[in-house]
Amino acid sequence: MKTSIFLAIALVASSASAQVRIIQTNSMGDNIHLIDPKTNQIVAEVKGVPLNHGAAASPDGSRLYFSSEAEQTLDAVDGKTFQILKKIALTGRPNNISISKDGTRVYVGIVSAPGAVDVIDTGSLERVKSIPTKGGIHNTWVTPDGKFVVAGSIAGKLMTVIDQKTEEPVWTLAFDQGVRPVAFEVNPDGSTKRMFVQLSDYHGFAVVDVAQRKEVGRLELPNDIPAEKVDKGPFNGSPSHGIGVAPDGKTLWVTSRPNARVYTYSLPDLKLLPNPVDLGGRPDWVTFTPDSKLLYIATENTDSVVVVDVTARKEVARIKVGRSPKRNITMVQR
Amino acid sequence: MSAAEVVSAFRRTLLIAGSACLLAGAIITAADDLPDGEGKKILEKSCTTCHDLTEVTKLRGFYTRAQWRDVVVTMKEYGATVDDKQVDVLTDYLTTNLGKK
Repeated sequence: MKTSIFLAIALVASSASAQVRIIQTNSMGDNIHLIDPKTNQIVAEVKGVPLNHGAAASPDGSRLYFSSEAEQTLDAVDGKTFQILKKIALTGRPNNISISKDGTRVYVGIVSAPGAVDVIDTGSLERVKSIPTKGGIHNTWVTPDGKFVVAGSIAGKLMTVIDQKTEEPVWTLAFDQGVRPVAFEVNPDGSTKRMFVQLSDYHGFAVVDVAQRKEVGRLELPNDIPAEKVDKGPFNGSPSHGIGVAPDGKTLWVTSRPNARVYTYSLPDLKLLPNPVDLGGRPDWVTFTPDSKLLYIATENTDSVVVVDVTARKEVARIKVGRSPKRNITMVQR
Repeated sequence: MSAAEVVSAFRRTLLIAGSACLLAGAIITAADDLPDGEGKKILEKSCTTCHDLTEVTKLRGFYTRAQWRDVVVTMKEYGATVDDKQVDVLTDYLTTNLGKK
C-alpha cells in the first residue's frame, strides 16, 4: 500500500515536471529548432548539424540525436546545453533515424547503396554494427512496443523488419513503389496491429496488416480542391510525405503536398473525416503532443510549422523555423 | 498625409522593393549559377523532374567524387533516367562545380 502511494506520488511529480518539446529539423539548414507547445514559441536551437535529416531523443530527453547528410554523421547533442557532444562517422549517407525504447541504440538509415541500418551504441557513442539491407534505407522506426526496427527502402521498394533484441532481419515486405513515412496502429497489448505506409509517387497510403505480414489495402487522398489551386510540384517523388497516428489512437493524419492539406481518418475504421486543414504550403512530417491535443506539421516551402488543434481540426498557430523544415518528433524531458 | 510624408513613404517603398529584388536575385543565383556543360544538361533534364535544383546545390562543398557518385547512383535507383555513361559525366560535373575543395 505504502509502495503504491509512493509510486503514484512519484508518477504525478514526474508528469508535473515533464517538459514537452517539439523538435523541428531544417533540411537545408544547419540548425534545429525546439518548440514549447505551451507557448508555441521557439525556446532552444541546436546549431552545427548541416543538412540535418532525422531526429531522435532519449526517453528522458537528456540526449538528442540528429543525422547530417552533409557530413555523413550522427550527431549526439546534450539535452540541456544543446551542444554537440560527438559526431559519429557513418558507413554512408544517412537519412532518417530512430531510437530503442530504452535509449541505448540509435538506428540510422543509410541510403547509400547497397543499403544498411547503422547501429550506434549511445553509451560509448560508437557505431557498433551495420545491418545489411536490400536497398538503401530512407527511414527507420522502432515499433511502439519497442520490439522491432522497421526500415523502409525507396530504391529496394522494400520494408525490412528487424528484431530489436537480436538486431537481425526477421521479415520483409515488397511494394510496387519506394517506402516513405510509416505510422503505427497498436493492439490493446501494445503490439503493432497495422502499419500505414506512404509510397513513392502515390497520393495516399498503403495499409499493412502486421499479423498477416501483407498489404491489405490502399487509400488515396481526396482530389478535393480546384485544379488551378493544385500544386504541381515537383515533390521529390513523394506527394504524400507525412503521416501519424495520434497518441490516443483515435485518428490517423495524412498530409498532401499537391493539395497543401492534412486529412484525418478515424481509427480503426479508416473513415475520412470532414474539414481537412489547409496548410498554405507543401507539408511534410507530422508530430503530436503526448495528450493528442495539438499536431505540428512542417511545411517545407514556407519555412514554417503549422500547429493544428486536433479536436477542432483548425490551425491555431504558425511558427517560423529554419530552411525547408521536414522531419519532426516530440520529446518529453523528465 | 503631407508631401514630405508621401516622399518618405515612397523612399521606404523603393528601399523595400530594392531589397526584395536583391534578395530574389541572390536566391536565383544560388540555384542557377552552375556553368553550362553536358553535366548541366543531364542535371536539368533528369533531376528536376522529381526535385528542385536546390536539392543538389544544398550539398555544395560537402562531397568528394565518391560521395557525389553515390548520390547519382542512388537517384538512378530511385528512377532517374540516367544511363551508365551519364552517371560518370554527371558525377564529374557535380564534383567539379559543387565538390569538396
